[in-house]
Amino acid sequence: MTTIRPFTCEDMLKFNNVNLDPLTETYGLSFYTQYLAHWPEFFQVAESPSGEIMGYIMGKAEGLGDNWHGHVTALTVSPDYRRLGIAATLMNILEDVSEKKKAYFVDLFVRVSNKVAINMYKNLGYIVYRTVLEYYSGDPDEDAYDMRKACSRDVHKKSVIPLSHPVRPEEVD
Amino acid sequence: MAVRPQRIQDGVVERRLRPIYDWLDNGNNKKALQEAEKVLKKSPTLQAARALKALALLRLGKTSESHAVLDALVEEKPSDDTTLQAMTISYRESQQLHKVCEIYEAAVKVDSSNEELYSHLFMSYVRVGDHKSQQRAAMALYKFLPKNPYYFWAVMSIVLQAKTADDSTKRGILLSLAQKLVENFITDNKMEAEQEARLYIMILELQEKWEDILKFIECPLYAQLVPASTTQACIPYYKKIGEWKKLNLLCKDLLWDNQDRWDFYMPYFDSVFQLMSKPDSDNSVDDSPEKCHEFICSIVENSSGRALRGPYLARLELWKRLAKDGDPTLLLGSGVALCVQYLRVFANKPCAVPDLKPYLSMLPRKEREDHSRDFLTCLGFDEKSEPDSIKDIQCHISCLLAWRLTAPMGSAEENLNVAVMLRQHYLRSLQRGLVTSTTTEFCATDSYGILAAHHFFYAAVEQENSTPIIEALNLLELVLHHSPANFHAKLLLISLYHILGNATAADSIYTKLEVKHIQLVSLGWLHAARLAPALASPRALRLLADTTAFHKHHAKDSVEQVTYAYKFGTFEKVLEVWEWGGRIESCAWCGACARERQLLALLAGPSSGQAPQHTVKLPFMPTDNRDLNAIVSWSSADNDRAAYKARSFEKDVAYLRLKDGLLSAIVLCIECADNRSVEKKSEQLEQLRTCIEAFGSALDRCHSLYGERENLNVTAPLPSRIIAFVTSPVPYRELYTNTLRMVCELCAGSSNALTFAEIARTTLVNSREHLAAYALPTLWQNRDALEFFSNYLEFIGVITYLLGVCNEHLAPAHAKRNKKKASQSPEQIQMIEIISKLNDDVQKTIAILEDIFENWPKFDYQSSLEAELEKLSISKYQTPVEQKLKNGLDDVLADVKNILKEKAKFLKSLQ
Repeated sequence: MTTIRPFTCEDMLKFNNVNLDPLTETYGLSFYTQYLAHWPEFFQVAESPSGEIMGYIMGKAEGLGDNWHGHVTALTVSPDYRRLGIAATLMNILEDVSEKKKAYFVDLFVRVSNKVAINMYKNLGYIVYRTVLEYYSGDPDEDAYDMRKACSRDVHKKSVIPLSHPVRPEEVD
Repeated sequence: MAVRPQRIQDGVVERRLRPIYDWLDNGNNKKALQEAEKVLKKSPTLQAARALKALALLRLGKTSESHAVLDALVEEKPSDDTTLQAMTISYRESQQLHKVCEIYEAAVKVDSSNEELYSHLFMSYVRVGDHKSQQRAAMALYKFLPKNPYYFWAVMSIVLQAKTADDSTKRGILLSLAQKLVENFITDNKMEAEQEARLYIMILELQEKWEDILKFIECPLYAQLVPASTTQACIPYYKKIGEWKKLNLLCKDLLWDNQDRWDFYMPYFDSVFQLMSKPDSDNSVDDSPEKCHEFICSIVENSSGRALRGPYLARLELWKRLAKDGDPTLLLGSGVALCVQYLRVFANKPCAVPDLKPYLSMLPRKEREDHSRDFLTCLGFDEKSEPDSIKDIQCHISCLLAWRLTAPMGSAEENLNVAVMLRQHYLRSLQRGLVTSTTTEFCATDSYGILAAHHFFYAAVEQENSTPIIEALNLLELVLHHSPANFHAKLLLISLYHILGNATAADSIYTKLEVKHIQLVSLGWLHAARLAPALASPRALRLLADTTAFHKHHAKDSVEQVTYAYKFGTFEKVLEVWEWGGRIESCAWCGACARERQLLALLAGPSSGQAPQHTVKLPFMPTDNRDLNAIVSWSSADNDRAAYKARSFEKDVAYLRLKDGLLSAIVLCIECADNRSVEKKSEQLEQLRTCIEAFGSALDRCHSLYGERENLNVTAPLPSRIIAFVTSPVPYRELYTNTLRMVCELCAGSSNALTFAEIARTTLVNSREHLAAYALPTLWQNRDALEFFSNYLEFIGVITYLLGVCNEHLAPAHAKRNKKKASQSPEQIQMIEIISKLNDDVQKTIAILEDIFENWPKFDYQSSLEAELEKLSISKYQTPVEQKLKNGLDDVLADVKNILKEKAKFLKSLQ
């Protein structure tokens, strides 16, 4: 039961029921407005019938040549609206936009401890492409999985052949 | 912000400048300055190095030196990008954006074929909002470099001129021009980007040319630029032109494929209700409630897999719309039955009741209340059931929540019974290992505790008794202990700690929420706004400063964001980002923070702190950016939140204006207290008199408008501070206006100062008699009492500061008195004496206050939770509530006593 619509600046005033969740980062204002100004179609919100934000996805398109891909910067669903398939719906939208932009694949980073999210991405067809060591700073730092799913443009699925070795954050482009 | 431009053409220059950039980017401006001087020794005329030197100087606070360097550079009309960009940063940081336009205007004259310079010139106009010049620059750019974005920059600039045009003819002409420009492009087959198509639609929308939009959306060019969105894009325009039949068929099509999309159901209903008035022979169109119902049912029947909420809620929506002017029961049966059915299907999901909430309030009150137990029992549970699986617990919770939302507001006793029963459910779940939350996920059982806390609160309000609040706090801390991610528990704890006036305890939870950036604005009402009235001054000063810093940063940064929208050609975001910038700029809460902080600093800031200063003028229409839906409400009495929000905002703004007036008067006092001749400052003195007068009458007006007390609500802001201020028995109007007038007349050299000083003194002395009534509150009264004293202390802070100002002003007279007594006029001697007497009386008042805080009551924070835990043999847990409340109050009282000591010391030093 969802309204899917583009995220707007004003949504920042009412995303507390999503962002107060400890795994969801609240960024500086300009981070959001830059995404809105640069990749508006990659920034979508799922709204409940009563006008509450149930979740949102924020992403971009980047990379050169066959590395041109859609990237999920943030995907988050309010605890009250989990297990309803909202994350999957939002991911589908981002994948569609990436297809439209002729991307080769879609990728995202996730904490290796975030089992729920990793499983969900696997169910959506994502594979662990590589491990990025100490990608998340904290105490202690935490590794990230770089997960990928190929788009139709990557006919031979070259973008989703997993790397055999982990990489350092500075090696990630 | 990184200073370094993306590329510097000249390799040698780049090498030389590199260290300066490095130091600037690292924030070491002193080193940057030294490095710039070094480069300038070798090549004293190098413009880029001079521009960077100016930036380093500016960041070191040497504003006038920096400006001197910049002014000299402007004279030379630099045209290289490195220099101009460094100058741009200086001008941006010193908020002289119009100067950026000037330097680029000069630069394009020198180098008229440079694309980059023109593009910077365009952006410089964007920053100052000069849309006409924007258009000119974009067109000039397009003329010698015909790229699409430049053309559309010009078009967008015309649209903005139209948006801001004050007469409709001009607006019409500008929009037709913009439309024509885009259409020429379409005719020439030059349109190539999705955003260009969207800009065209925006232009047509502003002219309300709905048919033209539909024509455009349906043409191949649109499909090519915006693939796979044609059908959906038509919806709003079919609505505009009343193409209800088309809309109906389109939405039905979309809904077959997307059975859960609310944004398709709503226009579908719109079309059905429009078509009902003029039925059609076309059978495929749904033009009656029956057909509509049939359609929804067929969706339910045809959906495979898990049940979707969409069609079920759609039926409720149909009921709601039919109930507006008819009887929906003929077709759909009772609303209660429909709601209960919804609950039966979806109770296992946490969203069930949030979804249902708007529809519960549509049910006739009596019917809703009579059947509230149907919600509780619809799945075989009742309030005593003891479900023992997570799934059943979620269902039980949903039933309990729906029951409480529909039941009539009970008596204190009933609410207490419900609260204790819910607490028992939570504790039982805990004992049986059913609390399964992790550090990142909360669990269903938490809701027992949260709903219990709400009911403890209702009982407390009804009884005007703090004991149930203590129970709620204890339970919520326990919930949070086991479910550290549960922000609902955190928000409620903060609110309840504040209701007891314990800001420090509230702060212990607030820090766990990690509120930052925009949340400082949307959640400021919850905590930051309540710190000063609860006397937590040091913490208040810090949070007010954080919010002010956020706001200042935004003011500098927001216009940059608009330039990004141009850069990336996202024209629909240009307006949105621009308006958003304005909205936050005009934020009422940010305006309040800037003022409160300065006023509070007079009381609790360092005595050598900065003197109060004029703040940026209050916006004409301050904006409300509070998120009042953060705390979930479970009371049926809480349905009209929008009206509540508007009312409480009106009060907050009135309070903001009062504080603004007060601060302005204080700043004017400081300005008038210098040693210019009275003639020279006569204008300012007059301004000050007007300001004091206006403050006094505004206070009177607010007294008559906002004098009524308000009920407490745990999910909404506490009553606006204006209420305690204007209803206080302490005559603040007289206290403030006479004290301010005393300073004013003293600065004016008028003997009236004596009269005002005497009235101020008597009013102060008389005001003390009101203090005792608030000095020994019960715990329930604690918050009100602290707020009463916070207002009084604020006055003490102001008068102490102003006595310092008077002292400075009279100081030369003091000196004279010591040397040549004879030269002093009797009036001056009298003035010094009366000021000294007033000073004495402020000190005496402070001594009384110190005594009050010394003897502030010790409260009893006993709770029954520990005994309950023991009964269930869950004894490992030790509740932090009692300690938090005790320490919190002790800390605040210690702070206040220290502040008062400081003030007394300062006042003594003046004599």
